[in-house]
Parts: sequence; structure tokens; C-alpha cells
Amino acid sequence: MTNTEQTTAELDQPKDTGGQRLPHVPGDSHMWVMVLGDLFIFGAYFVIFMIYRTMAPQEFLADQQHLDVTVGVVNTIVLLTSSWFIARSVVAVRAAEYDRAIRLTYLGGAFGVLFILTKAYEWTTEVMHGYTMPSGDFFMFYYMLTGVHLFHVALGLLILGIVVRELRNPRKRRTSMAEAGGVYWHMVDLLWIVIFALLYVMR
Amino acid sequence: MQILAEAEDLPKTANIKTQLISLWTVPVFGVVFLIAFIAFPGFLPPMSPNLTADQVAAFYREHTAAIRFSMVTYDLLGVMLIPFFMVIVVQMKRMTTQSHVFAYCYLTAAVSGATVFALANIFYLVAAFRPERNPELTMLLNDMAWITFIAPVGMIVGQNLLLGLAVYFDTSQSRPRSPAGPVFPRWVGHFSVATALAIAPAAMAAIVKTGPLAWDGLLSFWLRNGAYAVFLVVMFFVVRAALQRQAVSEGVAA
Amino acid sequence: MTDVASPSTSDTESGAAPTTPKAGKRDVWIVFFIVPAFYTAFGIIFFALTRTMPPPRPDITTAQMVDFFENHSTTIRIGFGLLILIVGGAGIANGIVMYHMKRMSTGSVLAYSYMGGMAVGALPGCLLVAICFLTATFRPGRDPELMAFLYDLGLLSYVGSLGCFSVAYFAFAIAILYDRNEIFPKWLAYISVWQIVTEILAVPVFVSRAGAFAWNGSISFWMGTVVFGIWLSCVIMFLKKATELEPVDAPPLD
Repeated sequence: MTNTEQTTAELDQPKDTGGQRLPHVPGDSHMWVMVLGDLFIFGAYFVIFMIYRTMAPQEFLADQQHLDVTVGVVNTIVLLTSSWFIARSVVAVRAAEYDRAIRLTYLGGAFGVLFILTKAYEWTTEVMHGYTMPSGDFFMFYYMLTGVHLFHVALGLLILGIVVRELRNPRKRRTSMAEAGGVYWHMVDLLWIVIFALLYVMR
Repeated sequence: MQILAEAEDLPKTANIKTQLISLWTVPVFGVVFLIAFIAFPGFLPPMSPNLTADQVAAFYREHTAAIRFSMVTYDLLGVMLIPFFMVIVVQMKRMTTQSHVFAYCYLTAAVSGATVFALANIFYLVAAFRPERNPELTMLLNDMAWITFIAPVGMIVGQNLLLGLAVYFDTSQSRPRSPAGPVFPRWVGHFSVATALAIAPAAMAAIVKTGPLAWDGLLSFWLRNGAYAVFLVVMFFVVRAALQRQAVSEGVAA
Repeated sequence: MTDVASPSTSDTESGAAPTTPKAGKRDVWIVFFIVPAFYTAFGIIFFALTRTMPPPRPDITTAQMVDFFENHSTTIRIGFGLLILIVGGAGIANGIVMYHMKRMSTGSVLAYSYMGGMAVGALPGCLLVAICFLTATFRPGRDPELMAFLYDLGLLSYVGSLGCFSVAYFAFAIAILYDRNEIFPKWLAYISVWQIVTEILAVPVFVSRAGAFAWNGSISFWMGTVVFGIWLSCVIMFLKKATELEPVDAPPLD
């Protein structure tokens, strides 16, 4: 990925003696601690889910029928789209096109909000059909996993908001900040895909 | 609040920013508290202290889900009011014409008050955990929950009297070199004392079971909780204005 | 506070490679060393003696709950009897965190919020289970339903006190992220966010009596405990670093 045009974003990245940009880990190391640890913790939750599923496969399968796969698919597409916008915004930051980056971040965030609204609609429908947390182990997992994921989405929106605010300020623009936000957001997306696969799809 | 560009990275700016975050927990979580309040089946209207044990047990059996939802919300988020009270502590420490003793007393009173609330909350939840428990024990937990929630108003009363005193003691004049003047306008002192007086009678809810002073009565339930809510709303705006003045006087904001 | 930094006075490795001279204030060091000592004792008490970590199951009969108290009566009384003597260590641990938070560039409001949240947690989240279990084992032969009541109240409050600690972790995380004095590393803020996540995942303990989300469940209890262990270890490690790096001649905090 060589860009011969020297932008301010490019200038603050480490280079070797030939002027070629050294490969670097996107974002900052602190965010990677967060992301890797979070993935690990969620991984443990998923393993535990699988264990309980294996212990009562018929019950889980029966309850799973009451989930609306279509809504799940919609949510997956929404979140993937938002990730795409965020990825493009990080590229824009690297090319120092800050206005475009801000717009793209807003778009990504907007799809994040759409995800939350769709999830709220889905939960409301389930509750109205009588499927609540005490309805059984499967639904307990369903609400808790999607709920904790929703907390991460909300946190992600907060992070995206901070990214936008820093991008707006010419003195505070840093590629690493936008990348850190992107890394977190992609993690949220990745987690959702696994949740979608485990809860909705796997039969 | 518009933070000035040249003040972006100063410590005193971070001080303002963290206070702002703590301040804004009030409206954000206030909405949630309101929802949880409405969701609890025993607040609108409030449960009577004169129900029999069987009636109380029936209440917890029939409304288990709503009780749990409401009280879990308060369990998870109720203590989130602490940062707001700590902003008031920090603002009280800015009052120049007094020692900081009122601020520290306010701090401890706020923390103790939150502890009492957290305890009451647990009692409701334990009652709702096993609705098939012996009705006498469910009623015991319900009694403890209501009495702990409504009656120990001493912390809140203390807090508000201390804030009132601090405002009255804050006689700093607005001067050219320190244009800030008093941290809070004087009427906040009267308002705090009035709130304390409005809340104080609820202590009787631990003693009487009928009438306006019972835990479901006009004074102990409606006036006590209403005054507390009004206090939070009003003080949000008061503290916000005080923060703005602090930011301006410290050169952090325009 | 004038104190000469004494390099390597506590260096027990003879002939080891030269270590960086330890700085830091002596009174802060005294307080620091109480922290790991207290939590070691805490671990022994809660894991080995009182059988609350892991907690006994919610889905047993009243008779089995009575058996639990009878079988472990001695260790419960030794363990919690010791806890109520040394629990000041919790306050001290919270105090030194708050001390270093006040050294951050973010001002005092979040340090006070941390302290407030933790102080609230000390009662429903730590001492209540001690009181309940000590009461249950105080008089053998009590009505089994009352023993079951104490069992529920103790364990549900211990595992289910969520909001108080959430406030503290929230304040801690924000303070670290805004801090320019680099008292603690930024990723410690993210670990504190994980702590909040585990609090959220403990919400179902008020609903579930068995499975991963019960008060002894693999998710609501075990994972929460593991993450807490990680968090606490990191905090102790960085308290030590922060204490070391504080200049001996730094003026006392306001």
C-alpha cells in the first residue's frame, strides 16, 4: 500500500531509510488490549453457551424457532454496512481527506443506531410473544448475549463520536485514533456475526 | 460549552470535562430511573403498609417480572447519581470564604445515603427472588425494603442542610481579579433547606402505618420523592451554570 | 512530608542486578502494602473458609441450606469473624486508589466518585453476606425458613450488588482515559470496562436459580470472578508503580 503523495497523515508514520512506510499495527496498543481481551471474554461466553446447548439440544432447538431469522439477517447486514463505512473512513483519514472521513463516520454511526433500533424492535416483539428471560436457558442466553453486545454497540457509538470530534479539530487529528475506533467497531461487528451464527443460524 | 482551543490540554480543562461528564449522568440516567419508577407495580399507587402477609406475597407472585425489571435497573444504575453529587462537592470546595468542611461532610452524607438506597433495593429483589417463600418472610422483606427506602432521610436532609449552609457562607464578592463571585446563587441555599424540610417528615414512615406520613402517604411518599426529583432537575441546571462560570473564569471556555 | 528515598531497603535479593532506586513517599508505601495483604486474606476467607466463593447453589431445598450452615459453621464463623475485623483494609485499598486518582490531571470529581461507589459497595456487597452468615451460624436450631432467608439475602446481595461497583469502574475508566499525568496505563481503563460488562452479566442472578446465569453460574459468577482477579492484580501492580514513580518531594494533595 504505497501512496506517493505525502499527506500529513502519512508524515507521522514511521518509515524505513528508503522512505517506505513501515508496516504498523493500526490503532494504538491500548485498544488492542481491549479488543483482544473482549474477544477472549466473549469467546468464553460462546463456549459456555455451546456447552449448555449440548446438554439440552432439543430444548434449545425448540426455543430457537421463536427467533426471527429475518430480523437477525437485517441486523447483520446493517452492522456489516456500518463497518464498511467505518473502514472507508479510516482510509480517508490516512489520505488526509478529513471531511469525507467525518461524513463516513457519521454514516457508520447512523447504521449503528439503526442496529440498536432494530434490536429494540426485535426484543419488543419477543417479549410481547411471551418470550422473556425466565422462559428458559436459551432465551436467557439470547437476551444476555445480545444485551451485552448492545452495550458494546452503545460504547462504540460513543467512541465514534469521540473520533468525529477529534477529526473536526485540526490540532487533534491522528490516524491512530481513527484506526483505534475502527478496530473497536470491527470487533463489535465480528462479535455480532458469531452471535448471529450461534443463536439464529445454527440448527 | 465551547472549550477554547488553547486550553484543550490543560489539567484544569480535564477537571471541567470530567465534571461535565459527571453532570450529564443526571439526565441520561434520570430518564432510566423514571422508567423504572413507572415500571415498578408498587409505586403508582404506592403499596399500603396495611396489606396482609398473603396480600404482599400475592403481589410479589403476580408482578415478579415487573418488580425484578424495575429493581434490577435501580441496582445496576441507581448509584450513578454519586458522580453528580461529587460535582457539587467539588463546587463546594471552590467556595473561597470558608473551609472545606461542609464539602467533606456533604460527601460522606451523599455516600451514606446511596448506601441506604442500595440496601433497600436488595430487599425488594430478595423478596422477588423466591415468591413462593413463606408470606410472613416476604412481608418482612417488603417491610424492610419500604422502611429502608422511604424513612432514613437523615442523609439527604443532612446533605441539603450542608449545601444550604455552604451557600450562605459563600460570601465571595465578584471582583475584577476574581470575577467568579459566589459559586451558587443565594436562592440555591433557600432551595436546599426547603428540600431538606420537605423530605424530613418521611422519617415517620417507619413508625406510622396510616395517613400522610405512612410510607404510601402524601408526605412520606409523594412529597419526599417529588421534592428529591425536583431537586435533581433544578440542581442539574444550577450546577451546569456554575460549571460554565468556572470554565470561563479559569480561561477554559469562552 | 520530607523523607529521603532509601534505595533498595526492601531489596531482598543480594547481589542482584542494580534496580532503579525506589522513590515514593513512605506513608503511601505503608498503605500500599496493606492492599495485597488484605486481598490475600480476603481470598483465603472467601474461598477457603466461608465457602462463598464459589457460592453454594440457589436451587437447593431449605433443609439443604440448613445443612450448609451446619456443616460449615466453624469455618464460616472463623472466616467472617476475621473479615469483620480486617475489613478496614477494603477502605484502605479504595483510599490509595483514590489518592493516585487525585494525582491525575482530571481533578477530584472522579476520585470522589470512585470512593463513593466503593464505599456504598462495602455494605450490601461485602458486609451483608458476612452479617447474614454470621447470624445464621450464631444460633443453631433456628427455624429452617429463617436460615433459608439469611442464605438468600446474604448470597444475593453479595453476587448481586452491581451498581455501586459499576459507578466506581466507570469513574476509574474515564479518569484514566482523560488523565495526562499517566498515573495508570490507558488499557487499565478498558479492563475496568470489562468489569462493568461482568456486572451487567450478573443481572440475571435475580431471576435464574440454575445454570450459567445463577448466582453460582459459570457466566454470572465465575467469569466475573476471573475478570475481577485480573483487574485487581493489574490495579495492585500499577498502584505499586504509581507509588514508586511519585516524587518524594511532591507537595501533599489538596
